[in-house]
Amino acid sequence: MTEPSHRYVVPTGAAPLVQLKGIAKYFPGVIANQDVDLEVMPGEIHALLGENGAGKSTLMNILTGIYQPDAGEIIIDGYACQFASPVQAIAAGIGMVHQHFKLVNAFTVAENIHLGWSETPRRASAPALEERTAALAQKFNLQVKPSARITELSTGEQQRVEILRVLARKARVLILDEPTAVLTPAEARELFKALRDFVSTGNAVIFISHKLDEVLEISDRITILRGGRKAGTELAADCTPAKLARLMVGRDIVLADMRARPPGAAAVSSSPVLRLRDVSVLNDNGHTALHGISLDVRAGEILGIAGVAGNGQRELSQVLTGTRPAATGVIEIDGHAIAHANAADFVRRGIGHIPEDRLHSGLAPGLSITANAVMREYAKPPVTIAGIFRPRAAKALARQIASVADVAIPDFAMPIRNLSGGNQQRLVARREMRIASKILVAAYPSRGLDVGAINTMLRYIVDLRNAGAGIVLISEELEELLNLSDRIAVLYEGRIMGVLDNDRVDIDEIGLMMGGRLRGEKGAAHG
Amino acid sequence: MADFRLQRLPSTTPAAALGARILAIALALVIAGVILAFVGKNPLALGLQVVTSSLGSSFGLEDLGLLVIPLILTGLSVTVAQQIGAWNIGAEGQFYAGAFAASAVGLFAPLSGGWSLVGMGVAGAFGGLVWILIPALARAYANVNELITTLLLNFVAILLVYYVSTDAWRERGGVANSATPRIKAEIPEFWGLVHWGLPIAVLLALAMAGLLAFTRWGYEVRLIGSNPAAGKYLGIAARRHLITVMLISGAIAGLAGMLEIAGTVHRLQGGISNNYGYLGIMVAVLARGSSIGVIFAAALMAFILNSGIILQTQGLTTSTVLAITGLILFLTAIGDELSHYRVVRDKS
Amino acid sequence: MIDLRSLSRRGFLNMAAAGSASLALPGLVRSASAATALPAVNEKNAVIGFGHVGPVTDEGWTWSHHQGVLAVKEKFPNLKKVLEVENVPYSADATRTYRQFVSEGANMIFDTSSTGDFLHEVVRRAKDTAFMECNGHVLMDNLGWYYLAHWYPTYVLGVAAGHLSKSGKLGYVASFPVASVYTSTNAFLMGARTVNPSATCQTITINSWFDPQAAAQAGTALIDNGCDFLFGIMDEAAYLQVAEKRGVWAAMWNTDIRRYGPSSYVSSIIIDFKEYYVEQVRKRLAGEWTPTESLFAMGAGVDRDAWGEKVPADVGKAADAVRTKILGGWSPFVGELKDSKGAVRLAKGQKMSEMDLYNWDWSVEGVTGL
Repeated sequence: MTEPSHRYVVPTGAAPLVQLKGIAKYFPGVIANQDVDLEVMPGEIHALLGENGAGKSTLMNILTGIYQPDAGEIIIDGYACQFASPVQAIAAGIGMVHQHFKLVNAFTVAENIHLGWSETPRRASAPALEERTAALAQKFNLQVKPSARITELSTGEQQRVEILRVLARKARVLILDEPTAVLTPAEARELFKALRDFVSTGNAVIFISHKLDEVLEISDRITILRGGRKAGTELAADCTPAKLARLMVGRDIVLADMRARPPGAAAVSSSPVLRLRDVSVLNDNGHTALHGISLDVRAGEILGIAGVAGNGQRELSQVLTGTRPAATGVIEIDGHAIAHANAADFVRRGIGHIPEDRLHSGLAPGLSITANAVMREYAKPPVTIAGIFRPRAAKALARQIASVADVAIPDFAMPIRNLSGGNQQRLVARREMRIASKILVAAYPSRGLDVGAINTMLRYIVDLRNAGAGIVLISEELEELLNLSDRIAVLYEGRIMGVLDNDRVDIDEIGLMMGGRLRGEKGAAHG
Repeated sequence: MADFRLQRLPSTTPAAALGARILAIALALVIAGVILAFVGKNPLALGLQVVTSSLGSSFGLEDLGLLVIPLILTGLSVTVAQQIGAWNIGAEGQFYAGAFAASAVGLFAPLSGGWSLVGMGVAGAFGGLVWILIPALARAYANVNELITTLLLNFVAILLVYYVSTDAWRERGGVANSATPRIKAEIPEFWGLVHWGLPIAVLLALAMAGLLAFTRWGYEVRLIGSNPAAGKYLGIAARRHLITVMLISGAIAGLAGMLEIAGTVHRLQGGISNNYGYLGIMVAVLARGSSIGVIFAAALMAFILNSGIILQTQGLTTSTVLAITGLILFLTAIGDELSHYRVVRDKS
Repeated sequence: MIDLRSLSRRGFLNMAAAGSASLALPGLVRSASAATALPAVNEKNAVIGFGHVGPVTDEGWTWSHHQGVLAVKEKFPNLKKVLEVENVPYSADATRTYRQFVSEGANMIFDTSSTGDFLHEVVRRAKDTAFMECNGHVLMDNLGWYYLAHWYPTYVLGVAAGHLSKSGKLGYVASFPVASVYTSTNAFLMGARTVNPSATCQTITINSWFDPQAAAQAGTALIDNGCDFLFGIMDEAAYLQVAEKRGVWAAMWNTDIRRYGPSSYVSSIIIDFKEYYVEQVRKRLAGEWTPTESLFAMGAGVDRDAWGEKVPADVGKAADAVRTKILGGWSPFVGELKDSKGAVRLAKGQKMSEMDLYNWDWSVEGVTGL
């Protein structure tokens, strides 16, 4: 965390650029926002802080015209406004970069920038659009490849395209939803600098995050939401992380160091249970996503995989669990090379997988909780005997998993998509832990969970490690990796930049590696 | 101040769905009744007539029993394909292909009596299977959308049957329309007009329900159908399952064509399917993915179609009857969607 | 049994002189020997049903039958119910429709477009109901059939076509390759060949009795192939409109629809079921009905329409001379006849019976496309 260069003072006499008064928005069964006030001054970076589900995204969707509020007022430059659609909000100078990008994947960067924009020339050739895009990128100091298709871009690059698209439309208020989630620390610093430049000319930024440190670093004032309501607005200079955390969750939380082994915990094995030797992997588009990776995972240890999302994490977790074949190289389990990767085979060998997007790959959302809970064990007794699937036995197993996961289930026949994301994740985790006798590959296990649920999830992982399984923990939360991992490997553009022992870790070094520098290049980077 | 609003739930309970459906049908009937009264008919008398004619006499029940056979099977065909996430819009074409193949055996194979029926049954199922083979392989290996391939093959099958029934296999000196000579092998009737195809259709629906619910294979099929990526995640041979399920779907529709030939019409002719293949899609929608539900949805559909015929004998024009039938199905679909909603009350 | 008033209203020539009134019954072929008459029914309790292939507004086949239904209603105003269903498909739905008639207590059912097995399915199970199938072929204890000897007026139209066609190429828009169509095309060409021995008849089959678009396309194709006289067996006027636009002759079926192509219109095979239906219903009520097979003779339910306004008077006269000859008992359907492959199918001097004509299933030399 760097100290803000100045102490922010709310300008007197100036009209707020954005003022929200008494905003309320209801969704079926959920109060997304109620009685929310927000005031953003010209020249201000205003952070919106809150846990998952605190109502940050909804509030911003109201400000950008995606939702209409059920109550309350939107005042821009002192005039009450009603945005019936995002187009009107954009016209009023309000632009948003969403957490899930709203880009057309099949189009190029230049086409996305110019899509639905009144300033797009009527007769525009691809080179002309690309030239205009390059000029805009230059102007706002955001590096993009104008001719590249969105599918070819990393998440970080896609975010830059999103920001550029908003800035090109002359936004005066830029809203960013969790922008640093996909950035390296260095990239984040560059973003912050760009934001400071942006507000210095009288514009404003609303910065949505749940990361305390970066909020303190970037913002002038902080509005904290809790359970859809405003918990307070504070000057960043008056806040400490502990104070913000208290406001955010309503209680003090401490992320404890979870590396310590209790007595009786399994020791780290001397030889690896899972090895990758020079493994290269292709992604869905046939491009090489992992370049000759070598990794060892030992029993009883947690190997953290750090890196910005989109640098090969997805492919790594898939190749480790047999859901994606290796193009070249060798995968060994217990010293045996696996010739033809097959997920079922990996499961039989005791490798579990908490996938990064559980609804998309780890679950069948339309099927019952029972059917989902037994996904790993449906083929063997007691669920299936002699080819006959036994719903009663399946339900008993599901009940058992739910009970260990501490998820209250009113009806096991209910589709699993009716459960909250946290409960789904707990069930998946428990389901995978049952079969992960050797290895658990956990990709972003805490993504989308609130603080309480994250702690539970991490506790699960530690328990499994203590029971003697090797864990591959892929995460974008450095703090989480530092708290849990015995070793940390850094992934950048499909290559391992280095593997660090957690005892001797230097956060700056990890950050540099995440930004593409090999281990040991630190000095050179500073020089 | 209390504030009422609607809340949408991602899924619905069977009771709510049933309730919504009953309400929808009731509402459709009320609207239809108002319209009928407006054009000078007595809606109550007509309604009574429909109910007594179709449910109040063995004659009417037999009609339903006969009509429900192809509807169960085409509905089942579509539902089975749905289980693995495929839309078989081609039940119509597979019905024709099955009828065609069964007729070929019935007319030309040197089989007698029961053996001829067995041969026709095998040929009918095989005909339907062949008709979906290319869409199944194209979907499995090249990810070609089966909606379009199955739909387009319908026209091929319809024209093929038209061709043989008006040309190559036509009965010389036939009557008002062209058809093949009468096929000798006939499925025996066990209750008035109703032949043994009815228990076969019902048993097949129950068997498919059992296969899907109580076998490892069925579990895998449902899983892949709900989320293909989950199949990959578990290492299930999704492609093999997809092909198998689509072939079964086609074979069921083909068998429906065979039963229509051997049990009801006894001649191959153009228009033999009476749109059963397309009606099967509606049956499947009403059955909400349940193979057992198909039996009841088909019964409801048969009742609606039969009511249409009854209303026509009461002097309503075809277009009025079609409008009422459409209204019922339309409101049922809306009812299904509305059953996802409930009214909640906020206090503010 | 043709309704003279309605014919004269259409400007029909006076038929009284033609001697048609001498036919007490339309050409009765035979009646079922063993059948006993169904018991009498009081008019107040009687239910009569009619099933039609098309809509009663088609101005053609179904409209003509509907006139018969209206005549029945007029003659027997106290009938309990007259059921009438349009658009009965040639499918198992026909069975359901007629079963529904039976379940509503129908004492007599007319199937006006021969649904064959689909009707017989019902006939077998409803022994107390009298069934009449138009263009049927099967006689049962409670099923009779009736049709029109349309080949005679068709032959007369053929004679006119022979005079009117310059190219000698006649076009025919056919529905299905069934007996009515074989007989119709054959009689038409045979009539034309009495004037122009090298005339031919080209046929296009459109697999429907009512499909204006397909009929128009077929008509266009025939004219493009050099035909300058169109005939056909459609329930609507589409190819007449094509003929009018392209300036060729056309003859039609069922009713007088000259207004769709006044300068192309030659004549129509016009049909009339009124008297026959009234008589059948009367017999049923009186307990006299037994199943019969009837073919309406020319002048007694089927005839040609008054000649079109552009038809030269001498052509009409020449054709009517042939008509008078037929009404006098002469048959043009006498051997030697060769089929379209050149084989002799009817020996010289041999005469085709009415049933031979009704069940004709091969094309004479010069007819192509069936």
